[in-house]
Amino acid sequence: MNRRELLKMVAAATGGVVIGGEFFLTGCKNPDAGVGTSATFTESDIAFLDEVAETIFPKTATPGAKDAKVGQFMTVMVTDCYEEKDQKAFREGMKTINDACEKMHKHGFMKATPEQRKELLVAADNERKDYQKNKKKEDPNHYFQAFKQLTILGYFTSKEGRQGATRYEPVPGRYEGDVPYKKGDKIVTGLS
Amino acid sequence: MQEQFDAIVVGSGISGGWAAKELCDKGLKVLLLERGRDVVHLKDYPTATKDPWQFAHRGTMPPSVLKENPIVAKCYAFGEATEHFFVKDIEHPYIQEKPFDWIRGYQVGGKSLLWARQVQRWSKFDFEAPGRDGYATEWPIGYNDMAPWYSHVEKFAGISGNKDGLENLPDGEFLPPWDMNVLEKHIVAQLKAHYPDRPAVIGRCAHLTQPADIHIQQGRQQCQARSLCERGCPFGGYFSSNASTIPWAQKSGNLTLKTDAVVHSIIYDDKQKKASGVKVVDAKTNQTTEYRARLIFVNAACLNTNLILLNSKSDRFPNGLGNDNGLLGKFICFHNYRGSMSATYDGFNEFVTYGRRPTMIIMPSFRNVRKQEMPFKRGYLVAFSAYRNQGKGYDGIGAELKDSQTQPGSWGVFMMMQGETIPKETNHVRLSPDKKDAWGIPQLITSVGYDENDELIVKDFLEQGKEMLEKAGCKNVYVNDTKQAPGLDIHEMGGVRMGKDPKTSMLNKWNQFHNCPNVFVTDGACMTSTGTQNPSLTFMAITARAANYAADELKKGNL
Repeated sequence: MNRRELLKMVAAATGGVVIGGEFFLTGCKNPDAGVGTSATFTESDIAFLDEVAETIFPKTATPGAKDAKVGQFMTVMVTDCYEEKDQKAFREGMKTINDACEKMHKHGFMKATPEQRKELLVAADNERKDYQKNKKKEDPNHYFQAFKQLTILGYFTSKEGRQGATRYEPVPGRYEGDVPYKKGDKIVTGLS
Repeated sequence: MQEQFDAIVVGSGISGGWAAKELCDKGLKVLLLERGRDVVHLKDYPTATKDPWQFAHRGTMPPSVLKENPIVAKCYAFGEATEHFFVKDIEHPYIQEKPFDWIRGYQVGGKSLLWARQVQRWSKFDFEAPGRDGYATEWPIGYNDMAPWYSHVEKFAGISGNKDGLENLPDGEFLPPWDMNVLEKHIVAQLKAHYPDRPAVIGRCAHLTQPADIHIQQGRQQCQARSLCERGCPFGGYFSSNASTIPWAQKSGNLTLKTDAVVHSIIYDDKQKKASGVKVVDAKTNQTTEYRARLIFVNAACLNTNLILLNSKSDRFPNGLGNDNGLLGKFICFHNYRGSMSATYDGFNEFVTYGRRPTMIIMPSFRNVRKQEMPFKRGYLVAFSAYRNQGKGYDGIGAELKDSQTQPGSWGVFMMMQGETIPKETNHVRLSPDKKDAWGIPQLITSVGYDENDELIVKDFLEQGKEMLEKAGCKNVYVNDTKQAPGLDIHEMGGVRMGKDPKTSMLNKWNQFHNCPNVFVTDGACMTSTGTQNPSLTFMAITARAANYAADELKKGNL
């Protein structure tokens, strides 16, 4: 699977277009954003995003999102590739997560336990699912969509995620069209 | 300053590389002019082996580049790993009278580094169709003229394919074919049962599935199924001018390669009544030089070939070289890529695929093949492939989601069309009367659009494709008309078309100007009609054929 296919599938299966629009599939598209800088995000923002991503993709027998530095990746992509309204929605989404945590667990997201974080984000994801199913085409995506998409993309394009959670074969050497699959076998990935 | 060569080849892309190789093999001293920089095979592929995490945006392009380059940004192959092989819009402006996405690669090898590498022969039906149905001027050549030259280039370039015995898709000189996967085999069998006249076969592509001696002599190795071709192949697994024809021509000792050489025009000698050389502007210094030769091949890629010829004005040809009939730059055509669809399939979950195959399943055109029978003219080639999705959906979060995403999901199918377009005089390019580029050359105006025939073809494909996938057991077929502008297919053709009659065509059956016989045009510009096949193989074969003829004529003293 190549990067474009990965992006398309992330988009298709999360029930909507990839945030940033169609152009996200071919490239960054925000002409007014800064280039290669995550200046609008602080270190504590990155730490917060790392924990959100880790809750979506936790460390198990394979590396977690934090190992893959997904928080940092999110800030680069949002800064460089999102349009202003989507950047704003992403920042507001961070606040929404934290506020919802205060409401559910009586303290902010960073102070929550992994179990509390999961309970919170499961609720956010269920809300996302219902919203995306019923929304009109022109309505904006649910805020949690971006966190999930960026986690999946960032994880599987990172060294830790690609090498740790998939069978990374940059030089396959051949194509076989009917390899028997055993349940539990990891997917095979290549360079792109 | 003047330098003398036997032959000058303008452009080092897929057809120019072939012209240079054939002429050098014939013992001619050849000057190969390239307007861009040198790209040396292996040495100048900086991203060829980079991992995804080695790119700042994991492969997507910085916004500053895209803002300035909205045209090339639309190209599927343009990204952080490949951007150094594409022309940036801002550096090379042109004027779109109608939307036309002109994708260019200005470097040694041109777009042969970037091409999609799919190669199907034309059949006799394709060459005969314009004459038979009267939608374009007649081709001056037929399949039998081309067959030996298809063989000639296929053997050297290295083409994988299966001998399928289809009259509408002639077999060639093939290296072993790629495999179809388990779902593709199923779909092909279902189609065969439901549509006996619509065979689907594994694609033929310019990849070394099993290098022959001639490929090993070129220093190339077996394709490793990485499918990262647009970065340049560190194995020489696919055919490019860089990996194949140019180093071959250089080994002959007969080639002089000059880079940063922007061709301004062909020089016509009124006394000798033929072309005497080319005028070149240095891309970096803007200094003008003239090079002399007895024979000139123009292979600048379709629209730039048109531009150079339109700009080659003389007392004899005030409207561009050879342009007595006023048709130069007219009858520009392309391929219609607008229709595509995706589908799902339940089953075959006990199989996965391994490696990345550089081709798809192809179904040659099944419309109007033997006679005109549809409400539209000509037809379309269908290409499709099946793949396994990643993971079992995106619901939920946590370890379950992550684990699911590391395992294969259900099968999906993608299908697309490649439609023939009808050459029309109104679809044309011309020179801007006032706007010039950085080298003092007039900018090109493109006036190329779709017509009603194209709309009918898209509609037919979307209906037929959906029906075929559903009959093969696929579900959730989602059809899409991208409405993409012409040009993004990167199959632009025509403007300097071949034909039998000097009144209605520019070039004769040897790709020679009817009225300036030592100038040959053998890139996409020479095409009389488009067929439904990916065109590069035909450009290569037609070039090899013309180059051998030209070299022989030169030796006989006829040029």
